[in-house]
Amino acid sequence: MRILVVGGGTGGTIVANNLARRLAGEIRSGRVKIRMLSASDKHMYQPGLLYVAFGQMMPDELYRDQASLLESSIEFHVDPVEKFLLDQNKVVTRSGKTYEYDILVMATGSRIVPESIPGLAEGAETFYSEAGAVKLFKKLREFEGGRIALVVGVPHKCPIAPVEAIFSLHDYLKARGIRDKCTIKYHYPIGRLHTIKEVATWVKPHFERMGIEHETLFNIKEVDVENKVVRSEEGTESPYDLLIAIPPHRGMAVVEQNGMGEGGWIPTDRFRLTMNGHDNVYVVGDTTNLPVSKTGSAAHFEAEVISDNIASMIKIGAPVRDYDGKVYCFIETGHDSATYAMFNYQNPPDLKEPNKPMHWFKTSYNKMYWTSVRGLL
Amino acid sequence: MTNETSTPGTIDPKDLQQLAEVATLITAARDAMSDDIVSRVAGALSEGMTLLDRLTRNEGLMSLLQVLDRQESQYFLVALSKAIHASSQEISAAPPAVGGIGCTLRVMRDPGILEGLRLMSLIGKHLSDSLREQHRRGG
Repeated sequence: MRILVVGGGTGGTIVANNLARRLAGEIRSGRVKIRMLSASDKHMYQPGLLYVAFGQMMPDELYRDQASLLESSIEFHVDPVEKFLLDQNKVVTRSGKTYEYDILVMATGSRIVPESIPGLAEGAETFYSEAGAVKLFKKLREFEGGRIALVVGVPHKCPIAPVEAIFSLHDYLKARGIRDKCTIKYHYPIGRLHTIKEVATWVKPHFERMGIEHETLFNIKEVDVENKVVRSEEGTESPYDLLIAIPPHRGMAVVEQNGMGEGGWIPTDRFRLTMNGHDNVYVVGDTTNLPVSKTGSAAHFEAEVISDNIASMIKIGAPVRDYDGKVYCFIETGHDSATYAMFNYQNPPDLKEPNKPMHWFKTSYNKMYWTSVRGLL
Repeated sequence: MTNETSTPGTIDPKDLQQLAEVATLITAARDAMSDDIVSRVAGALSEGMTLLDRLTRNEGLMSLLQVLDRQESQYFLVALSKAIHASSQEISAAPPAVGGIGCTLRVMRDPGILEGLRLMSLIGKHLSDSLREQHRRGG
Protein backbone atom coordinates (compact mmCIF):
# COMPACT_ATOMS: atom_id res chain seq x y z
CA MET A 1 0.00 0.00 0.00
CA ARG A 2 1.60 3.28 -1.13
CA ILE A 3 0.53 6.37 0.83
CA LEU A 4 1.54 9.71 -0.64
CA VAL A 5 1.25 12.91 1.42
CA VAL A 6 1.52 16.08 -0.65
CA GLY A 7 2.42 19.06 1.54
CA GLY A 8 4.50 19.30 4.71
CA GLY A 9 2.54 21.80 6.80
CA THR A 10 0.75 21.05 10.06
CA GLY A 11 -1.90 18.73 8.59
CA GLY A 12 0.37 16.76 6.26
CA THR A 13 3.09 16.29 8.87
CA ILE A 14 0.68 15.04 11.55
CA VAL A 15 -1.04 12.66 9.11
CA ALA A 16 2.32 11.22 7.98
CA ASN A 17 3.71 10.84 11.51
CA ASN A 18 0.50 9.35 12.90
CA LEU A 19 0.39 6.84 10.06
CA ALA A 20 4.04 5.93 10.60
CA ARG A 21 3.25 5.19 14.26
CA ARG A 22 -0.01 3.36 13.66
CA LEU A 23 1.36 1.30 10.77
CA ALA A 24 4.87 0.67 12.14
CA GLY A 25 4.51 -3.12 11.79
CA GLU A 26 3.17 -2.92 8.24
CA ILE A 27 5.99 -0.52 7.25
CA ARG A 28 8.63 -2.84 8.75
CA SER A 29 7.25 -5.81 6.85
CA GLY A 30 7.22 -3.81 3.60
CA ARG A 31 3.42 -3.90 3.17
CA VAL A 32 3.06 -0.11 3.56
CA LYS A 33 5.22 2.74 2.33
CA ILE A 34 4.72 6.40 3.28
CA ARG A 35 6.12 9.19 1.12
CA MET A 36 5.90 12.95 1.57
CA LEU A 37 6.45 15.51 -1.17
CA SER A 38 6.83 19.12 -0.08
CA ALA A 39 7.77 22.44 -1.61
CA SER A 40 10.20 23.26 1.21
CA ASP A 41 12.74 21.57 3.46
CA LYS A 42 11.65 23.91 6.26
CA HIS A 43 8.55 23.81 8.45
CA MET A 44 7.20 27.10 9.77
CA TYR A 45 5.12 27.65 12.91
CA GLN A 46 2.83 30.22 11.30
CA PRO A 47 0.95 31.43 14.43
CA GLY A 48 4.31 32.76 15.64
CA LEU A 49 4.25 35.51 13.01
CA LEU A 50 1.92 37.59 15.19
CA TYR A 51 4.57 37.52 17.93
CA VAL A 52 7.29 38.51 15.44
CA ALA A 53 5.21 41.56 14.48
CA PHE A 54 5.28 42.75 18.11
CA GLY A 55 8.90 41.84 18.85
CA GLN A 56 8.00 38.91 21.10
CA MET A 57 9.61 36.21 18.94
CA MET A 58 12.47 36.14 16.44
CA PRO A 59 11.79 34.73 12.97
CA ASP A 60 14.34 31.91 13.34
CA GLU A 61 12.34 30.56 16.30
CA LEU A 62 9.52 29.71 13.91
CA TYR A 63 11.43 27.19 11.78
CA ARG A 64 12.55 23.58 12.01
CA ASP A 65 13.96 21.28 9.35
CA GLN A 66 11.00 19.32 8.01
CA ALA A 67 13.01 16.08 7.94
CA SER A 68 13.73 16.42 11.68
CA LEU A 69 9.98 16.41 12.41
CA LEU A 70 9.22 13.24 10.48
CA GLU A 71 9.37 9.63 11.64
CA SER A 72 12.45 7.96 10.17
CA SER A 73 10.28 5.48 8.22
CA ILE A 74 8.78 8.28 6.08
CA GLU A 75 10.47 8.91 2.74
CA PHE A 76 10.70 12.69 2.32
CA HIS A 77 11.44 14.63 -0.87
CA VAL A 78 11.54 18.37 -1.51
CA ASP A 79 9.91 18.22 -4.90
CA PRO A 80 6.56 20.00 -5.28
CA VAL A 81 3.81 18.32 -7.28
CA GLU A 82 2.82 20.03 -10.53
CA LYS A 83 0.34 17.53 -12.00
CA PHE A 84 -2.27 15.42 -10.26
CA LEU A 85 -3.44 12.50 -12.42
CA LEU A 86 -6.20 11.34 -10.09
CA ASP A 87 -7.73 8.86 -12.54
CA GLN A 88 -4.34 7.11 -12.83
CA ASN A 89 -3.36 7.42 -9.12
CA LYS A 90 -0.20 9.30 -10.07
CA VAL A 91 1.41 12.70 -9.52
CA VAL A 92 4.18 14.37 -11.49
CA THR A 93 6.63 16.64 -9.68
CA ARG A 94 8.64 19.71 -10.67
CA SER A 95 11.75 17.54 -11.15
CA GLY A 96 9.80 15.45 -13.69
CA LYS A 97 9.47 12.36 -11.48
CA THR A 98 6.23 10.40 -11.36
CA TYR A 99 4.99 8.98 -8.07
CA GLU A 100 2.24 6.39 -7.95
CA TYR A 101 0.00 5.94 -4.93
CA ASP A 102 -2.88 3.91 -3.56
CA ILE A 103 -3.90 6.61 -1.07
CA LEU A 104 -3.26 10.33 -1.58
CA VAL A 105 -3.38 12.93 1.20
CA MET A 106 -3.76 16.50 -0.05
CA ALA A 107 -2.21 18.93 2.43
CA THR A 108 -1.10 21.73 0.14
CA GLY A 109 -2.36 24.60 2.33
CA SER A 110 -3.18 28.14 1.32
CA ARG A 111 -1.42 31.36 0.29
CA ILE A 112 -1.97 35.08 0.70
CA VAL A 113 -3.02 37.06 -2.38
CA PRO A 114 -2.73 40.75 -1.42
CA GLU A 115 -2.22 41.54 -5.12
CA SER A 116 -5.90 40.68 -5.72
CA ILE A 117 -6.90 44.04 -4.19
CA PRO A 118 -5.53 47.19 -5.87
CA GLY A 119 -2.96 48.97 -3.70
CA LEU A 120 -3.08 46.45 -0.82
CA ALA A 121 0.37 44.94 -1.39
CA GLU A 122 1.97 48.38 -1.72
CA GLY A 123 0.02 50.29 0.90
CA ALA A 124 -0.61 47.85 3.75
CA GLU A 125 1.54 46.04 6.29
CA THR A 126 0.77 42.45 7.17
CA PHE A 127 2.00 39.81 9.60
CA TYR A 128 0.98 36.91 7.36
CA SER A 129 4.52 36.41 6.03
CA GLU A 130 7.93 36.46 7.71
CA ALA A 131 9.14 39.50 5.77
CA GLY A 132 5.83 41.27 6.38
CA ALA A 133 5.88 40.59 10.13
CA VAL A 134 9.44 41.94 10.48
CA LYS A 135 8.54 45.02 8.40
CA LEU A 136 5.41 45.64 10.49
CA PHE A 137 7.46 45.41 13.69
CA LYS A 138 9.92 48.02 12.38
CA LYS A 139 7.04 50.31 11.33
CA LEU A 140 5.46 49.98 14.77
CA ARG A 141 8.80 50.79 16.43
CA GLU A 142 9.03 53.99 14.40
CA PHE A 143 5.37 54.93 14.81
CA GLU A 144 4.95 58.02 16.94
CA GLY A 145 1.18 58.46 16.74
CA GLY A 146 -1.68 58.80 14.28
CA ARG A 147 -4.44 56.71 12.74
CA ILE A 148 -3.98 52.96 12.56
CA ALA A 149 -6.51 51.07 10.44
CA LEU A 150 -6.86 47.29 10.35
CA VAL A 151 -8.70 45.80 7.39
CA VAL A 152 -9.66 42.19 6.75
CA GLY A 153 -9.69 40.39 3.38
CA VAL A 154 -11.81 37.30 2.73
CA PRO A 155 -11.40 34.42 2.93
CA HIS A 156 -8.48 34.37 5.32
CA LYS A 157 -6.60 31.92 7.47
CA CYS A 158 -6.83 32.05 11.29
CA PRO A 159 -10.08 33.96 11.81
CA ILE A 160 -9.10 35.02 15.33
CA ALA A 161 -5.95 36.82 14.13
CA PRO A 162 -7.60 40.23 13.38
CA VAL A 163 -8.98 40.38 16.93
CA GLU A 164 -5.69 39.24 18.46
CA ALA A 165 -3.83 41.87 16.42
CA ILE A 166 -6.04 44.60 17.88
CA PHE A 167 -5.44 43.43 21.47
CA SER A 168 -1.68 43.21 20.85
CA LEU A 169 -1.60 46.59 19.14
CA HIS A 170 -3.38 48.24 22.07
CA ASP A 171 -0.95 46.72 24.62
CA TYR A 172 2.10 47.48 22.47
CA LEU A 173 1.22 51.15 22.02
CA LYS A 174 0.35 51.43 25.71
CA ALA A 175 3.71 49.94 26.68
CA ARG A 176 5.45 52.49 24.44
CA GLY A 177 3.46 55.26 26.11
CA ILE A 178 1.87 56.49 22.87
CA ARG A 179 -1.57 54.88 23.04
CA ASP A 180 -3.22 58.27 23.68
CA LYS A 181 -1.58 59.65 20.52
CA CYS A 182 -3.09 56.91 18.35
CA THR A 183 -6.52 55.91 17.13
CA ILE A 184 -7.13 52.28 16.17
CA LYS A 185 -9.95 51.48 13.77
CA TYR A 186 -11.05 47.89 13.09
CA HIS A 187 -12.84 47.14 9.79
CA TYR A 188 -14.68 43.85 9.26
CA PRO A 189 -16.35 42.53 6.10
CA ILE A 190 -19.64 41.26 7.57
CA GLY A 191 -22.34 42.95 9.65
CA ARG A 192 -20.76 42.20 13.07
CA LEU A 193 -17.31 42.28 14.63
CA HIS A 194 -16.44 38.66 13.91
CA THR A 195 -17.56 35.80 11.69
CA ILE A 196 -18.24 33.66 14.79
CA LYS A 197 -21.27 35.25 16.47
CA GLU A 198 -20.14 34.37 20.01
CA VAL A 199 -16.70 35.93 19.41
CA ALA A 200 -18.36 39.07 18.01
CA THR A 201 -20.55 39.43 21.12
CA TRP A 202 -17.64 38.70 23.46
CA VAL A 203 -15.18 41.11 21.85
CA LYS A 204 -17.46 44.16 21.65
CA PRO A 205 -17.15 45.28 25.30
CA HIS A 206 -13.38 44.64 25.14
CA PHE A 207 -13.10 46.94 22.11
CA GLU A 208 -15.16 49.58 23.95
CA ARG A 209 -12.91 49.29 27.01
CA MET A 210 -9.80 49.79 24.85
CA GLY A 211 -11.32 52.63 22.82
CA ILE A 212 -11.20 50.76 19.50
CA GLU A 213 -13.28 52.33 16.72
CA HIS A 214 -14.97 49.88 14.39
CA GLU A 215 -16.78 49.70 11.08
CA THR A 216 -18.56 46.54 9.94
CA LEU A 217 -19.66 45.67 6.39
CA PHE A 218 -16.31 46.94 5.11
CA ASN A 219 -15.06 44.80 2.18
CA ILE A 220 -11.78 46.17 0.92
CA LYS A 221 -12.10 47.55 -2.61
CA GLU A 222 -8.82 49.40 -2.98
CA VAL A 223 -6.04 51.16 -1.15
CA ASP A 224 -5.20 54.65 -2.34
CA VAL A 225 -1.54 54.61 -1.37
CA GLU A 226 -0.85 58.20 -2.38
CA ASN A 227 -3.67 59.72 -0.32
CA LYS A 228 -3.45 57.08 2.43
CA VAL A 229 -7.08 56.08 2.23
CA VAL A 230 -8.63 52.60 2.15
CA ARG A 231 -11.99 52.29 0.40
CA SER A 232 -14.71 49.67 0.73
CA GLU A 233 -16.99 47.97 -1.79
CA GLU A 234 -19.83 49.46 0.27
CA GLY A 235 -18.74 53.00 -0.66
CA THR A 236 -17.12 54.13 2.59
CA GLU A 237 -13.49 55.08 3.17
CA SER A 238 -11.05 55.32 6.04
CA PRO A 239 -7.94 57.49 6.14
CA TYR A 240 -4.86 56.01 7.82
CA ASP A 241 -1.28 56.68 8.78
CA LEU A 242 -0.52 52.99 9.23
CA LEU A 243 -2.60 50.37 7.47
CA ILE A 244 -2.49 46.75 8.68
CA ALA A 245 -4.18 44.17 6.47
CA ILE A 246 -5.21 40.58 6.91
CA PRO A 247 -4.78 39.71 3.22
CA PRO A 248 -7.30 37.54 1.36
CA HIS A 249 -6.22 33.91 0.82
CA ARG A 250 -6.56 31.31 -1.90
CA GLY A 251 -5.70 27.64 -2.03
CA MET A 252 -2.47 26.70 -3.78
CA ALA A 253 -2.27 27.50 -7.49
CA VAL A 254 -1.49 23.86 -8.36
CA VAL A 255 -4.93 22.81 -7.06
CA GLU A 256 -6.64 25.33 -9.36
CA GLN A 257 -4.37 24.52 -12.31
CA ASN A 258 -5.32 20.84 -12.03
CA GLY A 259 -9.03 21.68 -11.84
CA MET A 260 -9.39 20.15 -8.39
CA GLY A 261 -11.28 22.98 -6.73
CA GLU A 262 -12.42 26.54 -7.27
CA GLY A 263 -10.18 29.06 -5.54
CA GLY A 264 -7.76 26.25 -4.73
CA TRP A 265 -10.15 24.77 -2.13
CA ILE A 266 -10.91 21.08 -2.73
CA PRO A 267 -14.55 19.96 -2.32
CA THR A 268 -14.35 17.67 0.71
CA ASP A 269 -16.75 15.35 2.55
CA ARG A 270 -17.22 17.14 5.89
CA PHE A 271 -17.20 13.94 7.97
CA ARG A 272 -14.93 11.49 6.12
CA LEU A 273 -12.55 14.21 4.82
CA THR A 274 -12.24 12.54 1.42
CA MET A 275 -12.30 14.49 -1.82
CA ASN A 276 -15.76 14.40 -3.37
CA GLY A 277 -15.80 11.65 -6.02
CA HIS A 278 -12.40 10.22 -4.97
CA ASP A 279 -12.55 7.87 -1.98
CA ASN A 280 -8.78 7.27 -1.97
CA VAL A 281 -7.96 11.01 -1.80
CA TYR A 282 -8.05 12.62 1.66
CA VAL A 283 -7.95 16.38 2.18
CA VAL A 284 -6.60 18.07 5.31
CA GLY A 285 -6.23 21.60 6.67
CA ASP A 286 -6.59 24.80 4.69
CA THR A 287 -6.91 22.82 1.43
CA THR A 288 -10.49 21.72 2.22
CA ASN A 289 -13.57 23.74 1.35
CA LEU A 290 -15.14 22.86 4.72
CA PRO A 291 -17.14 25.43 6.67
CA VAL A 292 -14.60 25.43 9.51
CA SER A 293 -11.84 27.88 10.37
CA LYS A 294 -8.63 27.56 8.42
CA THR A 295 -6.39 27.06 11.44
CA GLY A 296 -3.62 24.76 12.57
CA SER A 297 -5.93 23.25 15.17
CA ALA A 298 -8.57 22.33 12.57
CA ALA A 299 -5.78 20.74 10.49
CA HIS A 300 -4.60 18.87 13.60
CA PHE A 301 -8.02 17.43 14.47
CA GLU A 302 -8.71 16.54 10.83
CA ALA A 303 -5.29 14.86 10.60
CA GLU A 304 -6.13 12.66 13.60
CA VAL A 305 -9.32 11.46 11.89
CA ILE A 306 -7.63 10.90 8.52
CA SER A 307 -4.73 8.93 9.95
CA ASP A 308 -7.03 6.81 12.14
CA ASN A 309 -9.22 6.03 9.13
CA ILE A 310 -6.39 5.24 6.71
CA ALA A 311 -4.79 2.97 9.33
CA SER A 312 -8.09 1.21 10.07
CA MET A 313 -8.84 0.80 6.37
CA ILE A 314 -5.51 -1.00 6.01
CA LYS A 315 -5.94 -3.06 9.17
CA ILE A 316 -9.66 -3.95 9.15
CA GLY A 317 -10.96 -2.61 5.84
CA ALA A 318 -13.26 0.09 7.27
CA PRO A 319 -12.97 3.66 8.58
CA VAL A 320 -13.55 4.15 12.31
CA ARG A 321 -14.09 7.87 12.83
CA ASP A 322 -15.91 10.93 11.52
CA TYR A 323 -14.64 14.52 11.80
CA ASP A 324 -16.98 16.52 14.02
CA GLY A 325 -15.73 19.95 12.91
CA LYS A 326 -13.66 20.51 16.06
CA VAL A 327 -11.58 23.70 16.20
CA TYR A 328 -9.68 25.03 19.22
CA CYS A 329 -8.34 28.57 18.96
CA PHE A 330 -6.24 30.35 21.54
CA ILE A 331 -7.14 34.04 21.68
CA GLU A 332 -4.33 36.27 22.94
CA THR A 333 -6.07 39.25 24.53
CA GLY A 334 -2.95 41.37 24.81
CA HIS A 335 0.54 40.68 26.03
CA ASP A 336 -0.33 39.02 29.34
CA SER A 337 -3.76 37.41 29.07
CA ALA A 338 -5.61 35.04 26.81
CA THR A 339 -8.71 32.93 26.46
CA TYR A 340 -9.84 30.31 23.94
CA ALA A 341 -12.68 29.35 21.65
CA MET A 342 -13.56 25.70 21.11
CA PHE A 343 -16.38 24.69 18.79
CA ASN A 344 -17.51 22.10 16.26
CA TYR A 345 -20.25 21.59 13.66
CA GLN A 346 -22.88 21.29 16.41
CA ASN A 347 -21.70 23.44 19.30
CA PRO A 348 -20.77 27.13 19.21
CA PRO A 349 -17.88 28.41 21.37
CA ASP A 350 -18.40 29.47 24.96
CA LEU A 351 -15.74 32.08 25.63
CA LYS A 352 -14.33 32.45 29.14
CA GLU A 353 -12.88 35.58 30.73
CA PRO A 354 -9.24 36.07 29.68
CA ASN A 355 -6.57 35.29 32.27
CA LYS A 356 -2.82 34.95 32.63
CA PRO A 357 -2.56 31.12 32.94
CA MET A 358 -4.26 30.83 29.51
CA HIS A 359 -1.63 33.22 28.11
CA TRP A 360 1.07 30.96 29.55
CA PHE A 361 -0.70 27.95 28.08
CA LYS A 362 -0.44 29.62 24.67
CA THR A 363 3.18 30.64 25.36
CA SER A 364 3.91 27.00 26.19
CA TYR A 365 2.07 25.77 23.13
CA ASN A 366 4.32 27.93 20.94
CA LYS A 367 7.09 25.52 21.99
CA MET A 368 4.98 22.37 22.33
CA TYR A 369 3.84 22.76 18.71
CA TRP A 370 6.87 20.77 17.58
CA THR A 371 5.82 17.89 19.82
CA SER A 372 2.34 18.20 18.40
CA VAL A 373 3.35 17.90 14.73
CA ARG A 374 5.51 14.91 15.59
CA GLY A 375 2.25 13.23 16.55
CA LEU A 376 2.86 13.18 20.30
CA LEU A 377 0.24 15.65 21.53
CA MET B 1 -8.58 19.89 58.95
CA THR B 2 -10.65 20.99 62.01
CA ASN B 3 -9.90 21.37 65.69
CA GLU B 4 -11.94 20.31 68.69
CA THR B 5 -13.55 23.71 69.30
CA SER B 6 -14.95 24.18 65.78
CA THR B 7 -18.57 23.30 65.13
CA PRO B 8 -19.64 21.36 62.03
CA GLY B 9 -20.26 23.63 59.02
CA THR B 10 -17.99 26.45 60.19
CA ILE B 11 -14.50 27.20 58.90
CA ASP B 12 -11.66 27.31 61.36
CA PRO B 13 -9.73 30.63 61.14
CA LYS B 14 -6.50 28.61 61.12
CA ASP B 15 -7.67 26.79 57.97
CA LEU B 16 -8.47 30.12 56.35
CA GLN B 17 -5.04 31.40 57.36
CA GLN B 18 -3.42 28.36 55.73
CA LEU B 19 -5.50 28.82 52.60
CA ALA B 20 -4.40 32.45 52.47
CA GLU B 21 -0.77 31.31 52.79
CA VAL B 22 -1.17 28.89 49.88
CA ALA B 23 -2.83 31.63 47.83
CA THR B 24 0.07 33.98 48.64
CA LEU B 25 2.53 31.30 47.56
CA ILE B 26 0.70 30.85 44.22
CA THR B 27 0.54 34.62 43.68
CA ALA B 28 4.25 34.94 44.47
CA ALA B 29 5.12 32.13 42.03
CA ARG B 30 2.88 33.70 39.40
CA ASP B 31 4.49 37.13 39.84
CA ALA B 32 7.95 35.58 39.63
CA MET B 33 7.14 33.85 36.34
CA SER B 34 7.72 35.50 32.99
CA ASP B 35 6.86 34.56 29.42
CA ASP B 36 10.53 33.68 28.88
CA ILE B 37 10.58 31.25 31.80
CA VAL B 38 7.33 29.61 30.66
CA SER B 39 8.67 29.41 27.12
CA ARG B 40 11.98 27.82 28.18
CA VAL B 41 10.33 25.27 30.48
CA ALA B 42 7.81 24.36 27.77
CA GLY B 43 10.63 24.07 25.20
CA ALA B 44 12.64 21.76 27.47
CA LEU B 45 9.56 19.64 28.24
CA SER B 46 8.71 19.44 24.56
CA GLU B 47 12.19 18.31 23.56
CA GLY B 48 12.30 15.94 26.55
CA MET B 49 9.03 14.33 25.49
CA THR B 50 10.28 13.93 21.93
CA LEU B 51 13.54 12.36 23.11
CA LEU B 52 11.74 10.01 25.50
CA ASP B 53 9.31 9.02 22.76
CA ARG B 54 12.14 8.24 20.34
CA LEU B 55 14.08 6.28 22.95
CA THR B 56 11.13 4.20 24.13
CA ARG B 57 10.16 3.30 20.55
CA ASN B 58 13.71 2.37 19.57
CA GLU B 59 13.70 -1.43 19.36
CA GLY B 60 17.48 -1.73 19.58
CA LEU B 61 17.80 0.48 22.63
CA MET B 62 14.91 -1.26 24.39
CA SER B 63 16.54 -4.62 23.71
CA LEU B 64 19.84 -3.32 25.07
CA LEU B 65 18.07 -2.02 28.20
CA GLN B 66 16.43 -5.41 28.78
CA VAL B 67 19.78 -7.17 28.52
CA LEU B 68 21.49 -4.61 30.74
CA ASP B 69 18.76 -5.16 33.34
CA ARG B 70 19.74 -8.82 33.88
CA GLN B 71 21.89 -9.73 36.89
CA GLU B 72 24.76 -11.16 34.82
CA SER B 73 24.81 -7.91 32.84
CA GLN B 74 25.17 -6.00 36.09
CA TYR B 75 28.43 -7.88 36.68
CA PHE B 76 29.47 -6.97 33.18
CA LEU B 77 28.62 -3.26 33.70
CA VAL B 78 30.44 -3.14 37.05
CA ALA B 79 33.42 -4.88 35.44
CA LEU B 80 33.30 -2.46 32.52
CA SER B 81 33.29 0.58 34.77
CA LYS B 82 36.21 -0.82 36.78
CA ALA B 83 38.04 -1.66 33.56
CA ILE B 84 37.58 1.88 32.24
CA HIS B 85 39.00 3.28 35.47
CA ALA B 86 41.93 0.83 35.66
CA SER B 87 42.86 1.08 31.99
CA SER B 88 42.81 4.88 32.01
CA GLN B 89 45.22 4.80 34.99
CA GLU B 90 47.47 2.15 33.39
CA ILE B 91 47.64 3.86 30.03
CA SER B 92 48.70 7.15 31.60
CA ALA B 93 51.59 5.39 33.38
CA ALA B 94 52.68 3.16 30.48
CA PRO B 95 55.45 4.28 28.07
CA PRO B 96 54.38 4.83 24.47
CA ALA B 97 54.35 1.61 22.39
CA VAL B 98 57.40 1.24 20.15
CA GLY B 99 55.57 -0.97 17.64
CA GLY B 100 56.85 -3.98 15.71
CA ILE B 101 56.63 -7.75 16.12
CA GLY B 102 58.75 -7.76 19.30
CA CYS B 103 56.47 -5.30 20.99
CA THR B 104 53.40 -7.33 19.98
CA LEU B 105 54.96 -10.51 21.36
CA ARG B 106 55.76 -8.81 24.66
CA VAL B 107 52.13 -7.69 24.99
CA MET B 108 50.92 -11.17 24.07
CA ARG B 109 52.89 -12.71 26.92
CA ASP B 110 50.46 -11.10 29.36
CA PRO B 111 47.68 -13.68 30.15
CA GLY B 112 45.27 -10.82 31.02
CA ILE B 113 45.63 -9.36 27.53
CA LEU B 114 44.90 -12.77 26.03
CA GLU B 115 41.82 -13.13 28.24
CA GLY B 116 40.68 -9.71 27.03
CA LEU B 117 41.20 -10.64 23.40
CA ARG B 118 39.18 -13.81 23.95
CA LEU B 119 36.31 -11.76 25.47
CA MET B 120 36.36 -9.28 22.58
CA SER B 121 36.42 -12.14 20.09
CA LEU B 122 33.43 -13.78 21.78
CA ILE B 123 31.43 -10.53 21.66
CA GLY B 124 32.40 -10.14 18.01
CA LYS B 125 31.35 -13.71 17.23
CA HIS B 126 27.89 -13.35 18.84
CA LEU B 127 27.41 -9.90 17.30
CA SER B 128 28.21 -11.24 13.86
CA ASP B 129 25.90 -14.29 14.29
CA SER B 130 23.00 -12.11 15.50
CA LEU B 131 23.45 -9.51 12.74
CA ARG B 132 23.46 -12.23 10.05
CA GLU B 133 20.33 -13.82 11.55
CA GLN B 134 18.43 -10.47 11.75
CA HIS B 135 19.27 -9.59 8.16
CA ARG B 136 18.13 -13.08 7.09
CA ARG B 137 14.79 -12.62 8.92
CA GLY B 138 14.37 -9.01 7.73
CA GLY B 139 14.65 -7.33 11.17
